[in-house]
Amino acid sequence: MAETTSWNPYAPLSAQTTRTLGIGAVVAVLVLWALISATGLVSPNKLPAPWQVAKAFAYLAWDGENGRSLLLNATLWSVGRVVAAGALVVAIGIPIGVFMGASPKVNAALSPLVDPFRSAPVVALLPIMVMWFGIGEWMKVLFLFVGAVVYLIPMVRDAVRAVPQAYWISARDLGATPFEAVRHAVLPLAMPRIADAVIVGVSVMWTYITVAEYVNAREGLGQLIQNARRFSAMDQVFAGIIVIIAFALLSYQLMRYLKARMYPWETKL
Amino acid sequence: MSASAEPVSIELKDIVQEYPNKDGNGVLRVVDGISLTLSPGINMLLGPSGCGKSTILHMMGGVRPIGVPTPTSGTVLIDGKPCVEAHDDAVMVFQRYANRPDLTVEQNVAFPFRLAHWRARVSEAEARRRIEETLAAVGLAAHRKHLPSQLSGGQNQRVALARALVLRPRILLMDEPFGALDAQTRGEMQQLLVQIYEQNPCLVVFVTHDVTEALALGDRVIVLSTQPAKIADDFAILEPRPRSATWQRSTEAVRMEERILAQLHAASAGRASLRVSV
Ligand SMILES: Nc1ncnc2c1ncn2[C@@H]1O[C@H](COP(=O)(O)OP(=O)(O)OP(=O)(O)O)[C@@H](O)[C@H]1O
Ligand SMILES: [Mg+2]
Repeated sequence: MAETTSWNPYAPLSAQTTRTLGIGAVVAVLVLWALISATGLVSPNKLPAPWQVAKAFAYLAWDGENGRSLLLNATLWSVGRVVAAGALVVAIGIPIGVFMGASPKVNAALSPLVDPFRSAPVVALLPIMVMWFGIGEWMKVLFLFVGAVVYLIPMVRDAVRAVPQAYWISARDLGATPFEAVRHAVLPLAMPRIADAVIVGVSVMWTYITVAEYVNAREGLGQLIQNARRFSAMDQVFAGIIVIIAFALLSYQLMRYLKARMYPWETKL
Repeated sequence: MSASAEPVSIELKDIVQEYPNKDGNGVLRVVDGISLTLSPGINMLLGPSGCGKSTILHMMGGVRPIGVPTPTSGTVLIDGKPCVEAHDDAVMVFQRYANRPDLTVEQNVAFPFRLAHWRARVSEAEARRRIEETLAAVGLAAHRKHLPSQLSGGQNQRVALARALVLRPRILLMDEPFGALDAQTRGEMQQLLVQIYEQNPCLVVFVTHDVTEALALGDRVIVLSTQPAKIADDFAILEPRPRSATWQRSTEAVRMEERILAQLHAASAGRASLRVSV
């Protein structure tokens, strides 16, 4: 008999098996969900049936009566906010993380200001951000930015510090200034892990989007869910959540793909 | 600068090196009053593990360890001038080749010319010429577009060697460069080094653990004792290279081998007794 595949983290698994098991699990949950709804065990106010959610989804996707797509509009707004905050995170978070990684002094100064926020309830900052930045668009984008950047900065720093010292030393020996050694020998090697940090950052933003759009949003997926809850339209709440998950997954896969294309040389440990 | 008329020389004068002890109090004397004058040729540096070979090599125009003054006392002179940091004329080649995985062979070899220091000193045309020449010399011209991950260990070490050679260094500091390679590849790399050396004689300091390698390559063999390191033996090998298998089995070679091994064993025995007495 071949080597066992359970309790063996190194067992190869064919793409076919991986897909079958994954789809199987999702289908099993759907069936269970449908059964629960069909038997009326849980009231539809708490758990709408899958077909109700599908219907709500169809309505949100295209409202024929008013000739509009609520979902498309909401999605564009949410994606826009994530993209805007993402650009800020990349433009501000990466340089700070690189500085911290490249200089123990900068790290010593900044890490007490950054690291605690990784485990802080960022959501609790929302009222403060509302006080500081009002209830407009800025507040929402900045909230997403803060939520993601506190994860990204330490990851970028660690990515830089994970590059073996040998590269820095070798560059210095060849006549590089310390800055050049970081710029030409350390940073390029840290890039795949910096890309990982960006991927985590964007994923974190998708989890915060509903919170960001909690206050005074007239558009967006978070607002759509918020609104539906107000009218006890649980089917729409579910549909909205599923769309957010779908977009989070989609952007995650897209970024993973882009990363693999950009850094094909990354060694797989 | 490589056009200077005098042959290059390295002079160590009463070099002492101490490192802070691991437990935080006191210091560990690693090198104890070494004086040594090196001239062009292949100088092999041998010694028991941890005796301070790398420490000494780094002083001869290489990068110094971070946070530790090197040397603790004594002077290093290159061409009669004190040398306190990485020197223009000296380039190191490490066992870990430190090739950038995202750059092709050619780009890795061209790496030094990304640095302001060399851009200011070597014209683009000259750099191109040197890169081509060096790629051919180390036998990588056909692999120029490959990434390091597509190369063997020996080929990767060729890239590292080529990256040093494009700077036309008058001093080549090699720290167990072929230590991680299999026996056959190591033999090929030794041949390559000899070839390159014959074409362009410079001052090579070559640290090794391998007595056979020392006998195959060295014009001079320096053996260090340990804890703290002193010069235990220092002799010349006059046999011209390439050295035949017959010579390597000759009484002369065997006697040299025994001489080195005896020193190495004496050194490590000395250390063992030292440990017991502490
Ligand atoms: N930066 C440092 N700080 C403290 N101790 C050090 C430092 N560098 C080296 N040492 C110590 O000095 C001694 C000599 O080190 P060195 O690396 O020069 O030896 P080596 O002969 O090259 O050893 P190996 O054969 O393992 O390469 C060792 O005991 C080592 O632990
Ligand atoms: Mg060493």
